[in-house]
Amino acid sequence: MSCIVKSDTQPRIATIAIAKLIVTAVVVLLASSSNLYAADATAQVQLNVAKAGPRAVESLTERGILRDYRFAWMSMAQALEFNTVDPLEGPFAGEAKKWLRETVANQQRSGISQRYMNQNHQLEAVFYAPEGDVMELHDTAEYQLQVSDGGKLIHDEHVIVHYVILMTPAADQWVIRQLQAVPQF
Amino acid sequence: MRCRFRMCGAMSLIGAWAFAACLVAVSSAQEIKVPASVTAGDESVISTTGSGSATFYLVGPGVSRKSEVSLGQEIPLRAQDLRNAGSYMAIVCSGTCQSTGFYVSATKPASLAFLVHPSRVPVGQSDAVSGVAFPFDQFRNLVLAPQTINFQLTAGNSALLSREVRSQDGVAWFRTTSGKSAGLMQVNAALEGITAKRAVQQVASDPCNLRITGQRVATGIVVQTEPVHDCAGNPVPDGTIVTFTATEASGKNTVDAPIKKGIARAQMAASGAVLVSAASGVVIGNDVRIEAQR
Repeated sequence: MSCIVKSDTQPRIATIAIAKLIVTAVVVLLASSSNLYAADATAQVQLNVAKAGPRAVESLTERGILRDYRFAWMSMAQALEFNTVDPLEGPFAGEAKKWLRETVANQQRSGISQRYMNQNHQLEAVFYAPEGDVMELHDTAEYQLQVSDGGKLIHDEHVIVHYVILMTPAADQWVIRQLQAVPQF
Repeated sequence: MRCRFRMCGAMSLIGAWAFAACLVAVSSAQEIKVPASVTAGDESVISTTGSGSATFYLVGPGVSRKSEVSLGQEIPLRAQDLRNAGSYMAIVCSGTCQSTGFYVSATKPASLAFLVHPSRVPVGQSDAVSGVAFPFDQFRNLVLAPQTINFQLTAGNSALLSREVRSQDGVAWFRTTSGKSAGLMQVNAALEGITAKRAVQQVASDPCNLRITGQRVATGIVVQTEPVHDCAGNPVPDGTIVTFTATEASGKNTVDAPIKKGIARAQMAASGAVLVSAASGVVIGNDVRIEAQR
């Protein structure tokens, strides 16, 4: 997008018209920006448990994993965008929580923030322990990743990332204990 | 190279509020090259081309670093910034921003997360004991490269199981039958000198061959079991309930009695001919016929 305006050669009325146009554009931009965030606050997750073993995944567990994994990614996105650790309390535990907290702390220091937008996760359960106390999943995640420094966009990319995840049941939800990106499965 | 953006052309028409930013794709002089593979905890470098100063960003799991660098020189990556396995992004901005990603993989295993179930198991139960092991490196990254993990189960001096399992997707597991003798079962998982130890208490299974005797007393009858064992000969733990049922002409009378010192004993009110039976769990013992006082 490029914009060229020669205000000194135009009549005054034309300048005002252009100014109105810009104001409208800014308003539309801001409005669409806030709508974008509302739309981005969700994460699409599809879960396949057909290959999970040795224990079969019960339908109630499947629903719980789906619900909690989606919530975890939304929380992570919120934490990394607004540089706050509060959303990490609950959906994450162990090493995953540790490095996410470190990331947020370092982002606070460096002024960097990350936005995960238009998330789509193809999640597959690959291992479910005999006693049901741990599940390993593979996620082929697709999203728009934006990195900003002090509000200035320095990176914007549509990425596909493969994640290996360990989830364990907590009191009333499944939590992510390990979240590790890999080149391929 | 991933992105190529420059914020440019902020223009003002009627005061300070009329700014609009536009993104213009521009060609760039600098290029960055990342290592093909990086192992967690190792130092590395990123090479750049071009000249002049630039801002370097490293974004990855646990890392969000920003520093000033000189283009054309190598950018050192500290070992402490590359401890977590996962996806990293290196971004260099000098007017334009260029970025490239790379992965850090786990280093060699340093510990095993070993989950064993249950903590207490009756003897002789098929597929009753299971274990799951995850190898982790010294930075607590899951080691996804296949590893051979040796599971060993011992009870006393006898080996119950020794099985080598190749990990797949960072996990190895086993499931087996519990032993024949009550007592402590040691469950070990070993990998290249790393051993994780767990213990499972094996207890007697359900009573087997429940046998009872009885006699008449002034107030009715007294019945008791012989020492109660499971089918492998292990004494059934004290506290296990034995149910005695006395059937006489006037009806049935039932008493639950816990095993104490291997024997369950009950005194029951009765008169006349009484048929007494005993049961514990799903096991039924013999019947005894006792002539109580009328």
